[in-house]
Amino acid sequence: MTQKTSLESETSASATTTLSRRNFLRTTAAGAAATALGNFTIFSRQARAAEPLRVLCWPGYEERDVIGEFEDLYKTKVEFKIYIGGEQMLQFFAQTPPGTFDAIISDAEYVQKLKASKAIDAYKTDGFAELANYHPKFRDFSPTKGEAAGTVYGIPTRFSFYGISYNTDEMSAEEATDWNTLLDQKYAGKIGMFDWYLPNLGNASLAINPGNQTPYTISDDQLAKVKEFLTKLRPQIGMFGSSNQPIAQAMLAGDIVASPTGDLDIDLKLAGYDNFSSTIPKQGGIRWQEVACVCSASKNKDLALEWVKYMTSPKVQSKLVYTKAFKARGPNMKIVDYWDDEQKKLLSYVPDPQNPGKMLVETLIDRSMPRGLPTNQPEQAWIDIFNEFKTA
Amino acid sequence: MTTVPGAPSSKYMKTPNDSPLKVWFLAPLAIWLTVLFLLPLVFLLWIGFWRVENFQAVPDLSLGNYQEIFASFFSRSRYGLALVQSLWVAATTAVFAVVFSYVVALAIAFAVPARWQRLALLVAIAPFWSSYVLRLYSWQTILSRNGVINSILKQVGLSEYRIDIIYTQVATRIGLIHYLAPILIVILYVSILAIDRVLIEAARELGATRWQAFTRVILPLSRFGLMTAASFAVIVSLGDALSGNLLGGGAGASIIGKLPTYAGMIMSDYSSSTNLPRTSALATILIAVMVLTLAVGFVLADKARRRIG
Repeated sequence: MTQKTSLESETSASATTTLSRRNFLRTTAAGAAATALGNFTIFSRQARAAEPLRVLCWPGYEERDVIGEFEDLYKTKVEFKIYIGGEQMLQFFAQTPPGTFDAIISDAEYVQKLKASKAIDAYKTDGFAELANYHPKFRDFSPTKGEAAGTVYGIPTRFSFYGISYNTDEMSAEEATDWNTLLDQKYAGKIGMFDWYLPNLGNASLAINPGNQTPYTISDDQLAKVKEFLTKLRPQIGMFGSSNQPIAQAMLAGDIVASPTGDLDIDLKLAGYDNFSSTIPKQGGIRWQEVACVCSASKNKDLALEWVKYMTSPKVQSKLVYTKAFKARGPNMKIVDYWDDEQKKLLSYVPDPQNPGKMLVETLIDRSMPRGLPTNQPEQAWIDIFNEFKTA
Repeated sequence: MTTVPGAPSSKYMKTPNDSPLKVWFLAPLAIWLTVLFLLPLVFLLWIGFWRVENFQAVPDLSLGNYQEIFASFFSRSRYGLALVQSLWVAATTAVFAVVFSYVVALAIAFAVPARWQRLALLVAIAPFWSSYVLRLYSWQTILSRNGVINSILKQVGLSEYRIDIIYTQVATRIGLIHYLAPILIVILYVSILAIDRVLIEAARELGATRWQAFTRVILPLSRFGLMTAASFAVIVSLGDALSGNLLGGGAGASIIGKLPTYAGMIMSDYSSSTNLPRTSALATILIAVMVLTLAVGFVLADKARRRIG
């Protein structure tokens, strides 16, 4: 049995015992974050008594439908601290004492940042039987591979795409298969863009280097061409959205007709609007994926690994990617066994007429590359290009 | 004080103002300011001097963040252009918001019977009771291409006059004015209420027209309130990112160009990079601009008050 106190008591203990600079910084930062973020209520008193598993994650993982079976099976309680955005995840992690969290759901590219701060450990993939049902692109673990053979820092649990979402009354399916369509004069001021450099520069990288499997590993010359592409795209942009919601709203209102954000059509279709669709252009598109990691300071690693294993099951993923608040896709292809026809159609787990023997989602996965971090240039150089594009 | 001969000498009566304990009554204010303003501000300023190593903020006293930001102030990231956009949007918003609020405050103070004034004020500030974000989304529905206004214009056969202001800084200003107006109305109503009515009546009785009474008595005596309201409007507008994002579309067009606001850039930078020190430095620059604005507003308001005096 592990002896784990609450975060609150740990924080106050660190503040009162040794007031070293590090402790002071940590405590002050936590206090400042609590004030600034306003939702620093971490865990309930009731749950604390049961020595729970503690997970830092995106929304959805905490829903009863998703976690209930695990809690019943292991007779434990899983407590979740929800974050929205990778930067917030890193802030939450940095502002809590080591050992606060047992597991983290991270965006795949943030694994690199978690590794740098020694927050997570690699673990063996032996014994994860469900990986056999994963699409091959999720079995190569390219962004999260461990140093030793057969180890990973994270296993994918949920993903989706940054392709082109479009209004079918305004843009044809054929047009949507080419990034260059966005440069067409008739769409000037009619494109909405997600306000984040990483997926947009990744997509632009693919637009100029079609099929590049590593769109974030490009030369300075290629980066200059990415900038050129974005400069041409700027007059086409009608709005930047800080999240999917304002962009979907703009599409619905007719203020924009397309967006390289991907998947906006899912929510719009569910709301009863059938004139929206999405695809990944032929040059390729960026894919986001969440992965389950085990914290290096966890005293509950075995249970954390069992939870990771649980998250790989198709049944759990079928619920995880179809929560009330959010729809995405699952890497376990057996997920379809738990869905009705409508769900399969909505999330593209239906036969692809262009590629017999494959589901549409498999075609899209094949055409997509995981979102990553710039490797040949500093991150700031890419952010500068995006800022310059925004202010052009 | 006169002393009655033969009477015992009367003792000096102490008031609470003379008590040495009076300083303790300032404690709540001092604690409030220290905990909720000074400490967070100092912390923010301090982080601006930190650096990032291996994606983690490391305490330091480096000017690196400021050097980098100012090196790309009008090139690369071009924060300077965003700051110019912010100042333009904030200044014009303040002018429109103050004029609008002043008219409303005047109407409440002079056109509404005294017994109904409180109710009128309550109605005028009613929008303040609803969520700011909700109000912005409502404006999105009203102003968008297929929104309420354009739908009505289409219905009455005036579709060629459709408005196209969503995702421009005009829309940003509308959102900000809707946010600011209730607060400014209260500030201006209170300042109008402080004007001695006898002065207005005297002006009228000495032959001044209503317009002359307004321009020569009411307006000069409202100057202090107007300056205070304008300073407040500029500062709030400079710091707001929501209206610029939801109604201004993140980089809405103005006569300066299609540029984001500075607050929007800070938000975007914070969520883009694991670089809290740089974001803090960016925020510190905005605070410096705000303090400067406040100082100018204070000087102008003080001048106005002296003139009134």
